[in-house]
Amino acid sequence: MSQRRIGVYVCQCGGNISDYVDVERVASQAADNADVVIARTAMFTCSDATQADIAEDIRQHQLDGLVVASCSPKLHTLTFRGVAERAGLNPYQYTQVNLREQCSWAHTDDRKGATDKAVTLVEAGIGRTRLTEPLNPLVVDTMPKALVIGAGITGMRAAVGLADLGMEVYLVEKQATVGGWLKSMDTMYPAGKTPKEIIDQLDEQIHQRSNVTVFTEAEVVQKGGTFGNYVVKVALHRPTEQTISLNVGSIIVATGFDVYQPEIGQYGYGIDGVLTLPEFQDFLKTNPGPMVYHGRPVRTVSYIYCVGSREGREQPNAHTYCSRYCCTSTVHTALEVFKHDPGVHQYHLYRDVRTYGKYELLYSESREKGSLYLKFAADQPPAVERTGDQLKVTVNDLLTSRKELAIPSDLVVLVTGIIPRENDALVHALKLPVGKDGFYNEIHPKLRPVETVVDGVYIAGACQNPKTAGESAASALAAVTQSASILKKGKVQLDPQVAFIDASECTGCGACLKVCPYEAISAQSGDNGQSAYVVSEAICKGCGGCVPECPVEAIRVQGYTNAEIRAMIDGLLMEEVEQI
Amino acid sequence: MDYDVLVIGSGISGMESAIKLGDMGYRVLMVEKEASIGGKMILLSKVFPTLDCASCISTPKMAAAIHHPKVTTMTYSEVETIRRVDGRFQAEIVKHPRFVDEAACTGCQQCETACTVSVPDQFNSDMVARHAAYIPFPQAVPKKAVLERAGTSPCTATCPAGVKAHGYVSLVRSGEYEKAFELVLQSTPLVGTLGRACFAPCESECSRGSLEGAVPIRRIKRFIADRHYQSKHSPGVILKAPKGQRIAIVGSGPAGITAAWHLARKGYPVTIFEAEAIAGGAPALTIPSYRLPSAVVAQDIDNLRQIGVDIRTGVRIDNVQTLSEQGFAAVLMAIGTTASVRLRVPGEDLEHVQSALAFLQAVKTGKRPSLLQMDVVVVGGGNVAIDSARSALRLGANSVRLVSLETRLDMPAFSWEIDEAVREGVELSNGWGIQSISEDGVELVRCTATLDAEGRFNPQYDPAVTQHVGGDRVIVAAGMKPDSESWQSEVMVKPNGRIMVDADTLKTSIPYVFATGDAVTGPSTIAEAAGAGVKAAAQIDEWLRKAPSRLSGEAKPPKVQRDAVLARQTHYAERLPVKADKALVFKPRDFAEIEPGLTEQEARYSSGRCLDCGVCSECQECIAACPADAIHLDRTDEHLATMVDSVILATGFKLFPADLKPQYGYGRYKNVITGMQMDRLLAPTRPYHTVLRPGDGKVPENIAYIMCTGSRDKTVGNPLCSKICCMYSNKQNQLIMGALPLADVSVYDIDMRTTGKGYEEFYLQTAEMGTNFVKGRVAEIVEKDDGNLIVRYEDIEHEGQIQESEHDLVVLAVGVQPNHDVERFFGPNLLGLDDYDYVNETDETMSPGKTNIPGVYVAGTAAGAKDIPESILHAGAAVAQAVAYIEGRRLHI
Repeated sequence: MSQRRIGVYVCQCGGNISDYVDVERVASQAADNADVVIARTAMFTCSDATQADIAEDIRQHQLDGLVVASCSPKLHTLTFRGVAERAGLNPYQYTQVNLREQCSWAHTDDRKGATDKAVTLVEAGIGRTRLTEPLNPLVVDTMPKALVIGAGITGMRAAVGLADLGMEVYLVEKQATVGGWLKSMDTMYPAGKTPKEIIDQLDEQIHQRSNVTVFTEAEVVQKGGTFGNYVVKVALHRPTEQTISLNVGSIIVATGFDVYQPEIGQYGYGIDGVLTLPEFQDFLKTNPGPMVYHGRPVRTVSYIYCVGSREGREQPNAHTYCSRYCCTSTVHTALEVFKHDPGVHQYHLYRDVRTYGKYELLYSESREKGSLYLKFAADQPPAVERTGDQLKVTVNDLLTSRKELAIPSDLVVLVTGIIPRENDALVHALKLPVGKDGFYNEIHPKLRPVETVVDGVYIAGACQNPKTAGESAASALAAVTQSASILKKGKVQLDPQVAFIDASECTGCGACLKVCPYEAISAQSGDNGQSAYVVSEAICKGCGGCVPECPVEAIRVQGYTNAEIRAMIDGLLMEEVEQI
Repeated sequence: MDYDVLVIGSGISGMESAIKLGDMGYRVLMVEKEASIGGKMILLSKVFPTLDCASCISTPKMAAAIHHPKVTTMTYSEVETIRRVDGRFQAEIVKHPRFVDEAACTGCQQCETACTVSVPDQFNSDMVARHAAYIPFPQAVPKKAVLERAGTSPCTATCPAGVKAHGYVSLVRSGEYEKAFELVLQSTPLVGTLGRACFAPCESECSRGSLEGAVPIRRIKRFIADRHYQSKHSPGVILKAPKGQRIAIVGSGPAGITAAWHLARKGYPVTIFEAEAIAGGAPALTIPSYRLPSAVVAQDIDNLRQIGVDIRTGVRIDNVQTLSEQGFAAVLMAIGTTASVRLRVPGEDLEHVQSALAFLQAVKTGKRPSLLQMDVVVVGGGNVAIDSARSALRLGANSVRLVSLETRLDMPAFSWEIDEAVREGVELSNGWGIQSISEDGVELVRCTATLDAEGRFNPQYDPAVTQHVGGDRVIVAAGMKPDSESWQSEVMVKPNGRIMVDADTLKTSIPYVFATGDAVTGPSTIAEAAGAGVKAAAQIDEWLRKAPSRLSGEAKPPKVQRDAVLARQTHYAERLPVKADKALVFKPRDFAEIEPGLTEQEARYSSGRCLDCGVCSECQECIAACPADAIHLDRTDEHLATMVDSVILATGFKLFPADLKPQYGYGRYKNVITGMQMDRLLAPTRPYHTVLRPGDGKVPENIAYIMCTGSRDKTVGNPLCSKICCMYSNKQNQLIMGALPLADVSVYDIDMRTTGKGYEEFYLQTAEMGTNFVKGRVAEIVEKDDGNLIVRYEDIEHEGQIQESEHDLVVLAVGVQPNHDVERFFGPNLLGLDDYDYVNETDETMSPGKTNIPGVYVAGTAAGAKDIPESILHAGAAVAQAVAYIEGRRLHI
């Protein structure tokens, strides 16, 4: 192979790398490589200024390969592919070498060792880059239609949002009616509209829009096709059982949450007068005026917070997370109780009051109106028992020096949280990533909160984590924006680093077929009548699982050919690490 | 240029909005107030709960925004107003000058290295300094320098000669004495002269004057002049290519010299004609040597000879004719005021009566008369009278009495000159006019007023009150006027002898003859005359080249107000001025200089007292250093207007100013810092390269976090919870334990609010790593002598007992405040705000981000506290609705 013209950039990462790795030595040793034309260091290679410098080098030195040795490829592969592309270099002739997560951060106590390792990592990157060839991404047309799964406030808002951007929308709901949890709720904060009014309004908006089709009593059972062009099978249960096929460019999952249901005996649950928060809210709804429960006037209500939330890790299947909405919801409910009867005594047994943001105002108001707050430690939860006519709540109050207090109560409200809704069939059909806590996971919790690892499949609302109605609507609209930013272009580019089967080598043994998790491989009869296998470029994710299965080495992953992998291994085994 | 959407602010919400809109094919204009996009996130260490490096995940977003083909970004720009016009929005935007040509700047930072001014670095929470010429931070986008100019510094703005006073002070502070000298030379060659005899209006304007005393700006100039003349003899100036047109200047006073200096540097051959034997005008002839030694003036004049100005002394020019015959293309009359105004009283022509000018000139140029044993009467209340009186003392006079019409307070002489004269033994007779002069003295008459009802000089006398003052010698300093009689046949001259010119062009009635300085205005000061010389040079250059002259001066930003300067900081370290020890003795008998020069140490110290009012000092070091010739100080605000369909407000938030909780001591106790400062200490671009406490650089061992500083606190008017502080404190706790494994960390909180995805688990992890969470409200913090801090708190879990604990660093977890910038865009009360001045969302449950103005949306923390993912979601919501609005509107048109 003729000599290449490769540029190597070693990043200091503002000290994250250069504090532990001698980046100058790494660069100078890279420069010794015959195929390397230029090797430099930079304080922040990802900074716009250094990006501009690299682009200038690519043009000026007519580079045909680029290596950036910085952080994880997860962070900046796309950044530097973009630099290459802007400067006229094929983006797939770029290799990212991870000197931070895999070297400097791991070897903070051994500068020389870390530097030696960095030299070999860079050598491996150069080795691969030397063998790269230009690749062109597959461009596929996208379908300007979207599927929204779940018709609670999130799904309904998403459907309206998509329709308003001119997109055709299918809204699929498992239940017989739309509206989710909100449709049955009476009040909520902030005031203005009732939950039911909000749902009715959204329902009306959906009906007004001709480009939204709603399927109730329907479930998604299968997803096929490719990014931008999915074929989704939906089972309709009414009026007759049937399965329809929908062609959509993107899918927004808005399947919501379930409420935690305490076990019998947990904080006295099961005793007459011990209710969960939703049960208590239902009770309020049906009891206008002064509260009477089972014939007895209610003079005292005690709330026990964090039931089913913030559970200790030692418990089996613990819900370790905070359910976020319940503090505010309880404080708000307590204010509603005062509207029923300003004289009711209300005791809040809490761990931390998490009325974040402006919800703090509700907390202040509830205290001003007479709610009393008692704080208990996680390891000393309150106990509930019935003594005669009344319930008795016993708690060690941290605010009064852990004194044991007994609160005679007419009602005890267990402030129950949110749990992830089990939906195994959907998870399987969409290959949704599920987190440790059972909620669906986004691709990056900070900057890409609605995208998932599955291209074109987005999550919104409380299926991701507990959210208020407003927060759910915001995430719904963010998912709308994300969908539209893909679909409005009409085309998507797919990564060309996918598997390719050399038909002339393939023996048709079918070993690859068995391991492919994406069903990307199919049989095709060859010219000579012998059957061979081919890979659908659009479906293949380039995972490489099929490559080692092939007994005749007929499969290669573009951009990661066996030769390239071997060159990387050779680089890592480089013996002559220069001794300083 | 029109856009679909205007996005205001380029923090995480603004960038997300712009990129997503651009991806959908809409044209976006993103306007950012700071010099770089990125908002606050780019300044953070890491982000919770993933502990991703903030910089690493921000930079791709910043690059994506700035390179997006559909997104136009304006930095260092502000939206001024937004009006609805025909269903769209018209936005007026002002682009502030960076004073650096963005296209030419390569971000090499040489201007930053050369800059002589340091100010607190706002991108490092003021913990370290940056220069006035700077690149905001290493990952700035665009990575282009900016020159911070708050305005023109008062000293520079007020100088009549146009000397960049702040510039030379800041150069002296940096030890660049020769460059300081050269900077003054850019305005006038009279460096030494002005360093001694200028009336220094700069010092009256000096902002430090209202603290412990003004910076001795004039004496600093004297220092650089003395230093230069000690070693060097040729001014380091570059001359322009020679030009053909010769210029004659009549008179070698400050105006003529300064005009000659500028014209010669422009390449014109200049000839100065001076009637006297010595060049220099009043500074050389009549200002007494105890104030201004002749040698100093001679050195200044020599600067002109060095650059080839032909000075012909002893050549009196009485008319234009002779000069035009010699082939001069232009003539400048800078003849000053060398004739004396007469008293018009009996006895004025007696032999023992002398005009002050004649007297002073005789004294200064060597023919010193003796006044031994004589009683001298000086008539007049101006500076010339004072000079005469003090000179008379030095010539051995028995007594010197100065008689003036005005009261002492109204005397035209500078007050310090009068004071010094009195201290030297000059006696004052104020409020007296001269009735007559006789052989043995003067007859005085009581002056009852010097001005008439219209404010004109018109003395009134009470003839009933008279007095005789005996004297052997009478020196009359009753005013000066131009000696212009001989010119009257050619140019128009006023009755008082002043030459008539066009006020703008300085042209006389003859097209190629210009006049300037005291000959036009009447007596002024050296600095004012020098300024007149600059103006004349500019006018002559412009007239000869028939093109605008750069000498006319660049556009100057308005003068910085002293109050604005003093308000920039809560307090200033006291730095007393160097004492102005003039060697004043009673009845001095020699002409030795009375004011000592500043030592180098004093000059450095004194220039270090400068408050850098205008921030940039105009020292011009950056201009010299810039390899790309990208710096231009003459830039001004650019105003532009654009039409858009929709507006997204992403103006973000402000951090709570921690000094509003005085009981926590922020701003007074050096080891009390804010959460943002701790984030900077932990960031990869951290100012000290490690976590240390600012008071003494000690690595902290026991750190306290005070939660809810400025949040959930009605006493500061903010009852809201700021949402982010619990988590950012947890994040910092974990990072501190990584950076300082031995440090103890205590968090004083009321409720720990870790409600987002993965946040509670992150909090548990923080506790497991060793953070001590204390339930308690902190009442006050007291600083110990060693800089450690006593935290006094109510221990909630122990019956609310008041406890004390000692820490060596306290971090105030400051919260979120609204950014009021957003209020001005739409005019009064048009944009709805909530009770706490955040942008009001009219339907936050169904349509988060929707405001009361159709087509205007809010994204991120401009609508209330949010963390990063919430801001991203909120931006997404704003974008979806903005696009729906645009599409809906277009459908209906």
